[in-house]
Amino acid sequence: MAYTTFNRTINDQMKEPMFFGNPVNVSRYDQQKYPIFEKLIEKQLSFFWRPEEIDVSKDRIDYQNLPEHEKHIFISNLKYQTLLDSVQGRSPNVALLPLVSIPELETWIETWAFSETIHSRSYTHIVRNISSEPHKVFDDIMLNENIMERADDVTRYYDDLIDACNLYNLCGAGSHNVNGESKGVSLRDLKKKLYLCLLSVNVLEAIRFYVSFACSFAFAERELMEGNAKIIRLIARDEALHLTGTQHILNILAAGEDDPEMGEIAKECQQDAIAIFQKAAEQEKAWAAYLFKDGSMIGLNKDILCQYVEYITNIRMQAIGLKSIYPTTQNPIPWINAWLVSDNVQVAPQEAEISSYLVGQIDNQVDTSEFDDFDL
Amino acid sequence: MPKVRLTSGVELEFDSQASLLDALEQAKQPVHYQCREGFCGACRCKLVSGSIQYLYEPLAFVRQGEFLLCCSVPDSDIDIELP
Repeated sequence: MAYTTFNRTINDQMKEPMFFGNPVNVSRYDQQKYPIFEKLIEKQLSFFWRPEEIDVSKDRIDYQNLPEHEKHIFISNLKYQTLLDSVQGRSPNVALLPLVSIPELETWIETWAFSETIHSRSYTHIVRNISSEPHKVFDDIMLNENIMERADDVTRYYDDLIDACNLYNLCGAGSHNVNGESKGVSLRDLKKKLYLCLLSVNVLEAIRFYVSFACSFAFAERELMEGNAKIIRLIARDEALHLTGTQHILNILAAGEDDPEMGEIAKECQQDAIAIFQKAAEQEKAWAAYLFKDGSMIGLNKDILCQYVEYITNIRMQAIGLKSIYPTTQNPIPWINAWLVSDNVQVAPQEAEISSYLVGQIDNQVDTSEFDDFDL
Repeated sequence: MPKVRLTSGVELEFDSQASLLDALEQAKQPVHYQCREGFCGACRCKLVSGSIQYLYEPLAFVRQGEFLLCCSVPDSDIDIELP
């Protein structure tokens, strides 16, 4: 499976597994093994938005009037989201693209990562508006222990996978001496690392964003930082779609029809999967504690937010066939759903009509029957 | 009007609401939802018996025997199990 940007092997893409088959040669979508990925691409494209479309000028005044502890909550969340999208804007491309073997999945991954770069740019848009010294906000991300601690777990599985794939590509399966260190690698190892990586991405998009989302919407419920909330809504909509994407990939792999070895690995990794979810949930609860260290905000406190993390962790685990691990069954902040509903996101009339409205889509087929119901 | 029975014992009639999710919400049942457009999968639940019809094909992953409330209507009397 050594990587090449245009695989010369003449292969049937319908018979390739999702990962670790022949690298993709022709980007063709006339035959699709998993049409769902093209549907996700179309949906993602229909969601296209640009940060500059959203006016965040009122947020500047709101932000200046926030008490210090609420400024801390707001800006810390923005920093954390910046980290998450920095990782997501590049890592799926770097880690997953060289391993993909079917064109529709390859293009989905690229579309997915591209939308993350829009998120990253939107954070700069927000920070530029609310602060006269945006560089201080971004400079602090690399220095902030609470954020860096999470960065480790967010990136570890990606880096493990990339590292092992590099070795495999260069030296093949077996035990190799690299810089005086003996390193073993096998295709099965790679598959396991890929599976764990996908799980950790799933957790990132399923849980890690939501503490921040909840805070943004809690501000907006008080009619504060509403420009920011509009942007976060668009981001939340994208993330829900990405989440569906990784859930599909994970579930297809676990079913074992695509690649029987992957099916075995999924079973083998069940405890790892639970542990990844649990660790992320605990980290997010610790993040909530850090956010509210100097005081709560109206409508939200540490305990409620922690319950929400547990609630959402349960739901996400069930979605990929795992048992829930927390006793919480009720959403402690039901008002958040109104902010997460997709149909309320776009309000331009032509878009409100059909939610899959595509930018630049034109229907220029008009025939005489269109005038049938005209009377003079 | 098709009947909708929940495993909790609650029974309601589907009175041409836009979707099963709407019908259950009107009956004050504890349903999960997020996108209401078939792509997030938050409203996934089990179809114990009967059949449903999708208003449009959902994008979310749905297992055998499960369906999404937000984009479906009952085709007959149905029994469902909420998570």
